[in-house]
Amino acid sequence: MDAQLFHIFRNTPLGRETLLQSIYFCKKIGASLIIYIPEFTKFLMYFENDVVQIDLDSSYLTSPETALKHAKELLDQGKIKARFLDPKNFTASTLPDIATNFDFMCCPRSISDLSSKIGLGYIGPRVRRIVNSARFPVLITSPVFKKWRSIAVFFGGSANAINALKLGFRLSRASEMPLSVYTHMENVSRESYEEIIKNENLEEEMDRYVTEWHIFESGKFEENIYDVPHDALVVMGAYGHSLIRNIFFGGKMEKIQSTITNNLLIAGPNYTLTR
Amino acid sequence: MRILRLWRHPGSWTIFRLDDRLLLILIAVIVGTCSGLAAIALNRSLIAMFEWLHNFRHYWWSFIIPAVGAALSALFLDKIVKEGAGHGVPEVVYSVSRYGGLMRFRSSFSRLISSCLTIGSGGSAGPEAPVVMSGAAIGSNIAKFFFLNDRQRITIVGCGAAGAISSIFNAPIAGMVFSIEVILGEWKSVNIVPIAIASVAGTEISRILQGNQIAFSHRLFNIHHLDIVACIGLAIVSAAASLLLTRFLRSMHGVSKKAPFPIWMRAAAGGCMVGIIGIFLPIVLGEGYHSIRTMIEGAFAQGLGIVAVAAFAKILATSLTLGWGGSGGIFAPCLVIGSLAGLTYHRGLVLLWPSVPWVNEGCFALLGMAGLISGMLQAPLTGIFLIIEITGSYEVILPLIIVSVISTTLCHYIEPASFYLKELIEKGQLLRPGTDARVLSDLNVRELLEKDCISVKQNVLLRDFVNIIKKSHRNYFPVEDENTGNFLGMIHLDDIRSYLFNPLMYDAVVLGQIMDTDVEVVYLDDDLSKVLRRMDANRLFSMPVIANKKFIGMISKATLLDKYRKELMVQTGF
Repeated sequence: MDAQLFHIFRNTPLGRETLLQSIYFCKKIGASLIIYIPEFTKFLMYFENDVVQIDLDSSYLTSPETALKHAKELLDQGKIKARFLDPKNFTASTLPDIATNFDFMCCPRSISDLSSKIGLGYIGPRVRRIVNSARFPVLITSPVFKKWRSIAVFFGGSANAINALKLGFRLSRASEMPLSVYTHMENVSRESYEEIIKNENLEEEMDRYVTEWHIFESGKFEENIYDVPHDALVVMGAYGHSLIRNIFFGGKMEKIQSTITNNLLIAGPNYTLTR
Repeated sequence: MRILRLWRHPGSWTIFRLDDRLLLILIAVIVGTCSGLAAIALNRSLIAMFEWLHNFRHYWWSFIIPAVGAALSALFLDKIVKEGAGHGVPEVVYSVSRYGGLMRFRSSFSRLISSCLTIGSGGSAGPEAPVVMSGAAIGSNIAKFFFLNDRQRITIVGCGAAGAISSIFNAPIAGMVFSIEVILGEWKSVNIVPIAIASVAGTEISRILQGNQIAFSHRLFNIHHLDIVACIGLAIVSAAASLLLTRFLRSMHGVSKKAPFPIWMRAAAGGCMVGIIGIFLPIVLGEGYHSIRTMIEGAFAQGLGIVAVAAFAKILATSLTLGWGGSGGIFAPCLVIGSLAGLTYHRGLVLLWPSVPWVNEGCFALLGMAGLISGMLQAPLTGIFLIIEITGSYEVILPLIIVSVISTTLCHYIEPASFYLKELIEKGQLLRPGTDARVLSDLNVRELLEKDCISVKQNVLLRDFVNIIKKSHRNYFPVEDENTGNFLGMIHLDDIRSYLFNPLMYDAVVLGQIMDTDVEVVYLDDDLSKVLRRMDANRLFSMPVIANKKFIGMISKATLLDKYRKELMVQTGF
């Protein structure tokens, strides 16, 4: 797999945990790691139809003189090579542009709000906009480094969920880890979900990669997701429903990310399968 | 539920997709109106702030007013909206060049507020560039809302800039020409129609809310042949003033960068120095439109020496304001400096040849403005149309053209790039439509990868390699390390032909011995224009692409040129 994961390095203990998580992810799926050590507290990411300014919190600039050394030490420990990104283009002299042609990006739950950066149940507005605009899935890590030993895909039948499922197949193929699918039934029958899989020609891959398909016919969604192993990488789609539905009823992503501490890999509405 | 889903993307509604040209015209009206309103809001705010602060101007401490304004402006940009200082036009051109006109929403109001603080407190800058940035950002965000493609979004960004300039000067043609000549750099009917509509909308909004007034009206000028000849000298003076302003702005920027203070302190220091100059020469404070009116009417009372000193002081004050972190543009300072330069030149002529019946000095002030604008922007049409529209004087068209053209040419000869574009050109970031660099910037190495190459290990015998060759369609083979899989070199059939036709070598040679290890390689994030140059320089038709020390594919000139042609067709609309 010649995929690339983009990681913004923070020279703090929390940043170390996040980098360890990125290293582990890259090793598992055979991806290359691209690390950016920021020199400024802001940068721009130009997506296809949006430009997102990332205002990093000041902890990203902690001890810049040791940042590279610390990052390299972690890479050596992980026995992985990485490329350090040096921005070529600048929108303003202190505002570099970071490319968006990666395959994955690693983010903590918030990158611009120091007070809530380790809080569960909170994903910062910038991270949300990246998820919403990016063509790549975003790896939102658990606060502390945690190895994942299986893959859990949340499949609700939407177009985004199908993308998430395909992403799960891709990860399972690359990492050779078992893949489980979780479906919380919502006013439709089990057959309807199977029909969706059939219509998308995913039956063969379901048979090949999926070890178990958990379909919850009863119970609350928040309670059912306790069945997900604590050491699974959770893959899911996000922002697949209308804005109004998300505002009134909340998205599944919100419920999942506020309930479990697993590493999350989130595919937004613009995610396109590249390889 | 489908209705709710559609509500999330109103730009995809069928009604908006019936005809793309009509859609662009409709959006142009909206953008022109919004950017016109933004321009008027800034104009009114500046007037209110001037009037309020005017009461404090007679105090001895009034020199700190521009310092406070500049500091607040820098703090606002740096801490609240988190943007860099500057006038903003290069940022608009950059976004059009590289990112299909994508701009942040915050840019639609940030520069309006920051420039209001800088200029309203007496900083020497103009409100035009901030409204251009604001209008362009409004256009960009409306285009995003309607999910327009890159080409359409660029046109709408141009509409925003045109609407803003048209509104602030009540000058529709100048707005249109500025947008096309400076911002887009592309004269095409697909751009011109929406931009013209946006200019009309911006101007009309201005006329409804502020009245149909010519900004710098004056009496009729009676121009003789000798005046036209004298314009050549004025063009040289204007060009010199343009170059002086450009150099001063750059050097001040360099000096302030080295100062070990936060940006707001630097801005305050610059503002303070402007305040001190303003005590002796109040003409340097603010946008200076009132002084321009006086000069064009021929009623500027000060003598030649004071006028010349004022021109230099205005250049210095503008450099201190903008170079040290204040917010604003160079349009208005150019107009003031140009009119002062024109006045100086006229009074010099009168001093040298008092018996010649020279035209009124207001005419030379007007021509000086055109010279400065054309020289700084290296955009002669913008200079010509702007001055005609804001002064309502078509009778000066001939000397106006002469001054604008000569000033542009001289400035271009000495400084090949305009003030707005110089930094972008130096960094290789100005990618005008239809150029090689622009087309290639939209492609990347990954999408040109050819993955049908067969990789071989370094200890494979030549005999086994012959069998591999039979299965391959290619005449080059990447060699990888057996243990690590790292890329080691290439084997090109032309280079090993002598071995291939010598069967004695089949069991004596392994690929590691005959591979080429001195290979030009490409990385995934390499710039394609540089890759193409390397291929040309080394006479290569293909190069291996490496990621993480591993071979991931080949990139060939044929595929690159094929993709280039397709991208060119997309970009040029064929």
